[in-house]
Amino acid sequence: MKRALLTGNGSAAWGARLAQIDYLPAFPITPQTEIIETLGKWIDTGEMNCRMVTLESEHSMLTAAGTAAATGVRVFAATSSQGFLYAMEMLYTVAGWRVPFVLVNVSRGLSAPITLEPDHNDILAARDSGFLQIHCSTCQEVLDSVLMAYRLAEHANVRLPVIVNLDGFYLSFTREPVEIPHAGLAKEFVGPYAPQGMTFRAGSPVSQAVAVLGGSPYSYFRYETHLAAQNGVSAFSEIALEFEQAFGRRQDAVEAYCMEDAELAFVMIGSFATKAKDAVDRLRKAGWAIGLLRPRLLRPFPMELIRKALAGKLGVAVVDQNLSVGKGGVLFTELASALYGMEGAPLLLSFIGGLGGRDISPEEFFEMAAVTRKAVEEGKAPPPRLLYTEEELREVRKLQAIAHVERRELEAGR
Amino acid sequence: MYRIRFHGRGGQGIKTAGRILGTAFFLEGYEVQDAPRYGAERRGAPIFSYVRASRGAIRERGIIAKPDLIVVADETLLQIPAAGVLAGAGEKAVMILCTSEGVEVWKERLRFNGPLLALPAPSEGEDPLKFRYISAACVGAAARVVGVISRDSLLEAISSEVSEFGASAVEMNRQVALEHYEAAAAHEGLVTEAENVPPGAAEKPHWIDLPFEDARTSAPVIHGSTTSALVKTGLWRTFRPVIDPSHCKGCWWVCSTFCPEGAITVSEDGHPVVDYDHCKGCMICVTQCTSHAIRAVPEHEDAQAANEGGVS
Amino acid sequence: MNETRFQRKKDLPSTHLLGTGTPMCAGCGGLEALHQIYDILGERTVFVNAAGCMTLLATYPFTPFRGSWLYTSMASAAAGAQGVRDGLDILLAKGEIGSEEDLQVVVLAGDGSSYGMGLSATSSAIERGLDFIYICYDNEGYGNTGQQFSDATPHGARTATSTGPRGFPGFKKDLFAIWAAHKPTYIATVLGSEPLDLARKVEKAKSLTGPRFILALAPCPTGWDYDPKDTVEIGKLAVKTGVWPLKEFLEGKVVHTHIPRVRVPVEEYLKTQGRFAHLFRPERNEAMIAEIQGMVDAYWASVS
Repeated sequence: MKRALLTGNGSAAWGARLAQIDYLPAFPITPQTEIIETLGKWIDTGEMNCRMVTLESEHSMLTAAGTAAATGVRVFAATSSQGFLYAMEMLYTVAGWRVPFVLVNVSRGLSAPITLEPDHNDILAARDSGFLQIHCSTCQEVLDSVLMAYRLAEHANVRLPVIVNLDGFYLSFTREPVEIPHAGLAKEFVGPYAPQGMTFRAGSPVSQAVAVLGGSPYSYFRYETHLAAQNGVSAFSEIALEFEQAFGRRQDAVEAYCMEDAELAFVMIGSFATKAKDAVDRLRKAGWAIGLLRPRLLRPFPMELIRKALAGKLGVAVVDQNLSVGKGGVLFTELASALYGMEGAPLLLSFIGGLGGRDISPEEFFEMAAVTRKAVEEGKAPPPRLLYTEEELREVRKLQAIAHVERRELEAGR
Repeated sequence: MYRIRFHGRGGQGIKTAGRILGTAFFLEGYEVQDAPRYGAERRGAPIFSYVRASRGAIRERGIIAKPDLIVVADETLLQIPAAGVLAGAGEKAVMILCTSEGVEVWKERLRFNGPLLALPAPSEGEDPLKFRYISAACVGAAARVVGVISRDSLLEAISSEVSEFGASAVEMNRQVALEHYEAAAAHEGLVTEAENVPPGAAEKPHWIDLPFEDARTSAPVIHGSTTSALVKTGLWRTFRPVIDPSHCKGCWWVCSTFCPEGAITVSEDGHPVVDYDHCKGCMICVTQCTSHAIRAVPEHEDAQAANEGGVS
Repeated sequence: MNETRFQRKKDLPSTHLLGTGTPMCAGCGGLEALHQIYDILGERTVFVNAAGCMTLLATYPFTPFRGSWLYTSMASAAAGAQGVRDGLDILLAKGEIGSEEDLQVVVLAGDGSSYGMGLSATSSAIERGLDFIYICYDNEGYGNTGQQFSDATPHGARTATSTGPRGFPGFKKDLFAIWAAHKPTYIATVLGSEPLDLARKVEKAKSLTGPRFILALAPCPTGWDYDPKDTVEIGKLAVKTGVWPLKEFLEGKVVHTHIPRVRVPVEEYLKTQGRFAHLFRPERNEAMIAEIQGMVDAYWASVS
């Protein structure tokens, strides 16, 4: 084990290297490219024994990833944002094939307008695909999650592809100290690839990914995929325990920070959750009974763990770095449905922030806590709040003026 | 509500039949639903279409489970369980069947208790897939048996549904439909609208909790080869190719190679043998046989033909 | 061609590998070609399929194949072939499987995918030198959805989306030339009506490595509107009229394996099919018939 400064992308690459991947279908996209460049370099220098192929699109990349896994080798791939969406048909498709492999997504806001910085609309667009999802808040977690993701994907009661998600820029290009597990220990933890009957061999004919006709067989295959995904919660807990025994770090399906005696809580996923953690520390010092609940596993949705952790809490601020246009925050909706009808369910408040990489300041966390406390006192949640300041709108007005937006239109917009 | 199912083969105009009847009902002021249903299979394969008509709004959707009237354009479909011709037919259901045999024969054979009307099947030697107006015959009879569709509405419906195939198609369809509309006069109003089953009397669905099964079992994977041979595509056939051994010169590389299905095998002594379980009846072998040793024989003469050919 | 084991028609396989009971239409020219191709390629194959009519060949729980199969998507069958080939190569290199377990990787796609949506993935697979055989069954339209025009539809053909008096206004894309521009190992045009020519070409393709392309014209009774019994005859006419040149590309050179010395007028081919009926009825469209004949003549003039 050694400790080194690694970016989130570097951590993802190390995870793939330590998982002894056989195959890397690739396609570059910002802010993911560093992952495939790093792995490519290790392959060139002989530090890794892996075959890398650059396809002409993410759609093709995901196809090759799925078919190689169906042939019986361990596969890793990485993408981001527009590329992730370009591959969307194949995300659903390969999940239906029940092939286990790991895909890293480096989150980045979606076009249009096209942008480079992160939010979670890309990854959440695959929420219903059949891929399982692990969301990381630190570079360390990225490395650890990739190792754990292979165990989860290849678990006999699961056998589904897994996405490890990290935020662009805030993790992808940010260096942090990361403990790199000893290669031998990692190899032992992940284990050899067991194709579980997924092979193409002369002499044992098999037709994979075939069509079905009619709703009954289709329902069977889709629902079995769902049942397998749901098995992922207990599988993840087993794997997390083993991981802790091997490496001394605990990466639970749901991270509960200062939650035992908390009356209020933030709920969020991804790297900005560490900011929430920081706010919790500072609020606690000021006498607030507040905590943070962070689902690391979003698919399968660890419903019981979340219900248990939030039972008896008074108010919860759900911070969504995504926007379901015409509905609101995705995490808020998921949480509301999970808590509906539960005795002692907390009041839920919806905050939308961090779209397209827009930062969330400590002051905003304090204010969200204050609004939540006030709502609890009044027994009524306010409407969803976009984290957006007067100053920001003033800045946009300046941009609009340069873009020759007509004065009267600006006034009308005011 | 009237619930009517048309059964036939791809290529027989079953979809059009449903649409003509649907439009005719509509012209009579009914609320209507009509739709075709077909699977992966193609021309010659069993398909069906269905029509619902009611004076009130129709909220049912999808396949008709319990038809009041079943119209069968091709009697050979009744040998095919998968075609589901009789599915859900209750005591009061009426059947119209294009057949070359008598009504009593079929009632006995099918143990069908309801009224059964026979329409003449295509004449001997005529391929039902090419008997273009069979669907018009079916619709004409169905319209009369239902009893609430006037001549004018039937004719107007045909005009509007068939017009894209040209004026002569419209004329021929109208002529055939009208002929069968008149012929069925004695059975006018034979079809009654079934009453809905009240919730208390409905059969409870036997829901289960789907058990988890690991991906070795529950992935869409076929662990084997040539399982398609279990599908008897020979049932699509309306004509069969019969090889006359006295004319066959044994040049199997012609018929056996050209057969798209691989349904002509070669015997040990070098003679082609037709696999009638799977031959779809395309008749490429008939047209390509250089010694004219293969004949096209209508399926209903199949017993005789099988004896001649010596293979079944 | 001296080394071929197919000297005469008698040498064609007398047993057929592709299983019966498929859901393809009666008289399908694509299935005819596929079953002939499969007899030569053999069961040590894995077919990687793109969306099209033949996707339904393997419909749970039925498959006509003796070897393996995997359906991908409409756009990415060639990328799917890449993953399977690489997977097998990795396992071979690691010694996890022996060469006796290796498979020929074969893409099976229709013209909709091959000429259009899948072309980007295919182009890049050829460019990478992928060791695979690509089979396109070309029925000149999106057949599985009811024969709308595709990039492979010939000029003047009536399709479900070109119903006007002049049919399809565009021109059939030259996929042979597009492949040839990539300098692959081998390309051949074939059709089920010429089984000996097909067998020799598939035999040759099988003996080579690298990107190999078999482009099969697939007369389609449903989409082209003719009686299924005429599939072979129409295919033969496509060759005799020069509409479908039988040729191959090897070592940078294009060779015609059959040159019709006296070409039958193209209208003899056109009038066999309902999709060209509007060129003859209600009155002959001399200009369009001449235009189509002119294109065929120009092709043969350019290659002789």
